[in-house]
This record gives sequence, structure tokens and C-alpha cells, in this order.
Amino acid sequence: MTSPDVIVVGSGASGSLLAAKLAESGRKVLILEAGPDRGEQAMISSTLYARRWKWNGAPVVEEGKNPIGHGFNAGLGVGGAASHHYAVWPRMHASDFSVRAQHGVGLDWPIDYDDLRPYYDQVQHDCGIAGDEKQEKWRPPGAPYPMPGVPMFSQGRVLKRGFDALGMTTAPLPLAVTTTNYNDRDACIWDGWCDAGCPIGALANPQTVYLPRAKAAGAELRVRAEVTRVLMDSQGRRATGVEYVDADGATKTVSAGLVILAAFAVQNVRLLLHSTSDRHPQGLGNAGDALGRYIMCHSAALVYGLFEENTTHYLGAFGGQLVCQDSYPKQTHAEAGAFGSYQWMIAQAVKPNDLLGIAPTRPDLFGKPLADFMQRAAKGFGSMTGVIEDLPVADNRITLHADRKDANGVPLARAVHTCHPKTNALWQAALEEGKRIFQAADATEVWTGPQGMMHIMGGTVMGADPESSVTDSYGRVHGLRNLYVAGPGLFPTSAGVNPTFTVKALAARTAARLIDRQGTENAAP
Amino acid sequence: MPDRRTLLRGAGAAGLALNFGGWLATPREAWAAGYEPSVLTDQEFKLTVALGEALVPGAAAAGIAPYLDQQLGAARSETLLMIQYLGVEAPYLDFYRAGLAAVEGLAQQSQGRPFADLSADRQTATLGSFAGAQPEGWEGPPSPFFYFVFRSDATDVVYGTPEGFSDLGTPYSAHIVPPDEPWRSGTQQ
Repeated sequence: MTSPDVIVVGSGASGSLLAAKLAESGRKVLILEAGPDRGEQAMISSTLYARRWKWNGAPVVEEGKNPIGHGFNAGLGVGGAASHHYAVWPRMHASDFSVRAQHGVGLDWPIDYDDLRPYYDQVQHDCGIAGDEKQEKWRPPGAPYPMPGVPMFSQGRVLKRGFDALGMTTAPLPLAVTTTNYNDRDACIWDGWCDAGCPIGALANPQTVYLPRAKAAGAELRVRAEVTRVLMDSQGRRATGVEYVDADGATKTVSAGLVILAAFAVQNVRLLLHSTSDRHPQGLGNAGDALGRYIMCHSAALVYGLFEENTTHYLGAFGGQLVCQDSYPKQTHAEAGAFGSYQWMIAQAVKPNDLLGIAPTRPDLFGKPLADFMQRAAKGFGSMTGVIEDLPVADNRITLHADRKDANGVPLARAVHTCHPKTNALWQAALEEGKRIFQAADATEVWTGPQGMMHIMGGTVMGADPESSVTDSYGRVHGLRNLYVAGPGLFPTSAGVNPTFTVKALAARTAARLIDRQGTENAAP
Repeated sequence: MPDRRTLLRGAGAAGLALNFGGWLATPREAWAAGYEPSVLTDQEFKLTVALGEALVPGAAAAGIAPYLDQQLGAARSETLLMIQYLGVEAPYLDFYRAGLAAVEGLAQQSQGRPFADLSADRQTATLGSFAGAQPEGWEGPPSPFFYFVFRSDATDVVYGTPEGFSDLGTPYSAHIVPPDEPWRSGTQQ
């Protein structure tokens, strides 16, 4: 393909969807993916081999009290971070879109839930989500789930006992994983290898759903093509294409009428900051010095326990079996100095080793005490994770490193992130609640983990004001006609749920807009 | 998309196959065959064996030392080490080398002998002195972090394989076994 209509940078959650829908609308789409195409055969069922799906590109220099964990959270290669994601796909709530208006903290979105609802429904239909909308009493309005909820195994039944005892509500965790045959995809067999990729196609990662559609519609996927700069016209008002370095190290350019940056949130910021010119000396979309700001991460509230029963902890999905959103109202834990929402992902399938496995939950043990613990845990281990909303803070920011560059001469990203005190208080309140739940479930031992960072959002936040945001509600960079950003970087607030479903809903909304206005990108904004 | 049943037929013999100088083997097999280090020094290799075994019983026989030696010489894109997503930049040899030297220095300082030559009780005491907080005089990566990383490597080789799962009574249930294992071709189920 020599002259695409659209360049999509990145083949992950948002890029794959945009490429598919735009290609299906008749546009010539070129996807430039910085990493390799490992193929499904590389989705090896091993906690060690699964690490190859994580980020291994240019280092990100991390600072602050709560470093973002870019290496763990990001991905490099076809499918991006979504190739190793856990497919926990709850919707954001209406309250997530107007946090500042309602509570005077954080930011507001330029859209509300009703704007996004039809696109949640559309993506849900495309990808398939298993759930039970009747049991999910907190669920915002939307189409019923197309597949029944995930099955409950022993660990789920044991932990549910604690929630029941405290009068709390649980429901099947909404997962983009097949519980029945769906669009020629076989049902999941619940072996807990989700983050190693899902070669059987049960989990709706990009390789399973949107990338095949994009290719079938004629999109070209060009791998090991690392974009280094967005190219602009002489007036600095229109993107003309991108510059990239190919697998052989050669610098190339490609032109198109529409450019969409759908790389990982940190890398989108890096690209925009690096694409300076006389018209844009601070980078693209940075007229108001908002670019790179409001980086957010969910704090993980990790609760562990041992139980008398055999919990068969290896069965199920990595994300879990059940969800509880009883603490979603923003002021639920205000008396503890906290603000924000969280949900519990309950009864997660775990392996003996790796960062989220059993052994690292007790780093204080070594030698025979560790071996003894592993034998006990192999029978009765249980876990759940709270997804803790992170209040946006302007000083949590991605910038370009002053001195260090990658092999292509692009400055490294520097990421500073320190959680807001109210976020820390919410994390602590969740841990206390989690311990009470495990005790109510008759755990023989209960302990908690450190404040890990998961999901990276913000940095290219959307908004109505070009001085305080980077894009409009469709991801179009303020002041530029045909340059768009996609992905969780657009989020002005982080909510208390996993981001991927909302990433896709936003991308579907952008795709619909672009299809509706086909061929008019070069008109005045 | 591979056919699911085709994939499942291959399950059951998953291992941790690495290329040891052109010789494909698991770390356990490499250790049993008398593997000699090519990246670590002999002293570092010996310490790796002792430290791994003290942290996670069974790590020596599971091949912690051949595993680390091979991995520290592997390309960044091929590494399996957990350290790759713990905020440490590649190459990782410097991190391990500095950490091992710090452990050895601590053992000499506090016990008067190399770590590998200490009794089990004294090894335990030495580990306990740097696992939770950094002791005075420690020169290397933050000691609790080095402890966490090295302990994770040892748990990987002991518990992160089909043999390790089996020892815990945990079904492995692989979709895809590690590829390119010609020496296993006759034994795959």
C-alpha cells in the first residue's frame, strides 16, 4: 500500500478497532506497529514466556512516589497491551463523567454516559461480553449481555460467602471472554492463562476480533515500524503523515489524509511532544501546556487469604469470577478522607509464581517456611483485587527526558506519578474492607499486598477547552484538522473500573464520526 | 487462529526450554549435565546456586544457576526474567552482579565466610538481615528489591514449570507448549 487514506499508529485495543471500522467503510488503512507480529503460536502457556508480551521498547524513566509500572502495564507488538489484558470489561458509570461538576475535584469529560452508551453496546456486540445485568445492580443502562455470566468455581463460592455475610452484593464479573460459542469462537475452558495471550480465541483481544476484520477489509499491518514523528504541512494545521524507522533501521515517511495515534498512552504523548515545529514549538496539541498532564493509574488493593476448602484457585479467568461495586459512589469512604470509586474483582485465577502469582504475595518468606506456605496455598488460596480510582493531578505528567534518547534519536519519556492523598486513603479503606470480607468468609489467614499501579490513563485528556485539554471528545487534537489520538490517554478521570471497554467505546464513537464525515478531514475544523 | 483442539493435543509436556550454547535443554537438565557458566563468573555461579537454594528449596536442582546464566546473556526481546517489568533497564547483568557482590560482602562482613560456605542456619540469618531492610554497609541495588527479584527467579524455576505445578498438585492445563523442543518430540503427549 503506497498511499493510504488513514495511518493508524498502534495495533492495540483502540488502533485495531479504528482500523477495522475505517477499512470496512472503504478507506485504505495502514497500521504501523512498533513491535513484532509474534503470532498466536507465541501465546505460550507459561508465566515466564508470557512476559514477552510486555513492553520491551525504549525505557520509560519513572519517578514519583507511585511509579506507573510502564514495563508491566504496556505491551509491544501486534495487539499491544491488549494482547495480555484480562478482558475485565465493566462500563464506566454516569457519575464518572462529571466528577468536577458534582464534587469540585478532578476533571469533567466533555461527554456523558449517554453519549457513549450506544458504542458500549456496539462493541459489546462485536466482541461478546459475558455477564448478568440483572445481578449487576450497579450497571449503567445498556443492552443485555450477549453471553451468560462466567461460571463460579470453588474460590468464587468461598469468597462470596464473605460478601454475603456482610450484606454486600456480588455478580458475575463482566468479561470479554466467551462462555458460549460466539461468532465462531469456542467457549473458554477456564484454565487461567489469559495474560499469556489467548490462542484459542475465547478472550476478545485485538488478534481475535478487530485485527482479522481490519485485514479482511484490506488494511495493511506493517510491523516493526516505529513511528518517530508526526509530519505537518507548512502552516502547521494539518498532519500530512508520519516518519517511522523500519525493521532494518531505515527512516521512512508515509503520507495520508488522516493520522490516528493509537499507541500506548505514554508513547502517544512522547510522539506529540517530539513532533515540534516552528508552529508547534512545544509539540502538537500543547498550546495550553496540557499535553502529558493528568497521568493516572489505578491503585491495586490486593487482598489474599487461606481457607480450609480446596479453592481450585487455578480455575477461571485471570480477571476473576465475581464483581462487587458497592463502593462505587464517590463519597462512600469520605469519613476516611477518601474520594472516588472502586470495584472488587473477586476470585482470580492464579499461578504459583510470577508477579501476580502466589509466591510473591508473601515476600517475607524464604526457605522452608516458603515451601510450606506454597503447599498450603496450593490447596486453599484466595484473592481479590480492588480497582481504585486515581484522582487526576496536573503534576502527574509525561515529559521528554532532557538528556536520554532511544536508538532512533527520540528522547525517552519521563513519567512522574504520585497518587493524590484522597486516592491513597481510598486504597487503604478498600484494604480494610477487603480484610473484613475475607474474615467473614472464614479465612484462616488474611494479608494484603503493596499499592501496585495498574492501567495507565490520561496524558492526552479530552476536553472542551484547548487550554486545559489536548483533544476534543472524538480525540481530535485541538487546533489540528486531521490528527487524532485514541486510547486511555483520552480519559479525564480514571473511574473505578478497568479501562479497556471504555477505550473501545470511545474508539467506536470516533470511528463513527470519521465514517460519517468521510473525506472531510481537510476541511476547516 | 490455531484450532483449539490442535493446541490442546500438544498440552502436557510444557517446559522451560532454553538455548544453552546451541544445546536446547531445560535449566534442570542443564544443571544435571554439569553446565558451566558463560556469563557469570565461577564464583557468581556458585553463589547463585547457594542463594537460590536458600531462598527456595529445590532451586539448585531446578537449575537456577544455568537459568540465570543463560538469561543474562540473552537478548532483551528474548528474556524471560521478571526483572524486565520491574523498572530496571537492560542489560540486567550489572544489577545481578552488583547484588551478588553485595550478598557476598555481607556474608564476609557478618559471618566471615563466603555465603555458599555457610551453614544453613547462618545462610538463613544472612538472608534475614537484608531481605526486609537494607543493612549498613550494603553496596548494591536496594537489598529488599534484590532479594525480591532473586527470590522471584528461584520461584520461577521451582514452581513456574509443569514439574513445579505438579509438585503442588496444581494442573498445568497448557494451550501451547514451548515451541522448538526437538529432544522432546518423542515424548510429547
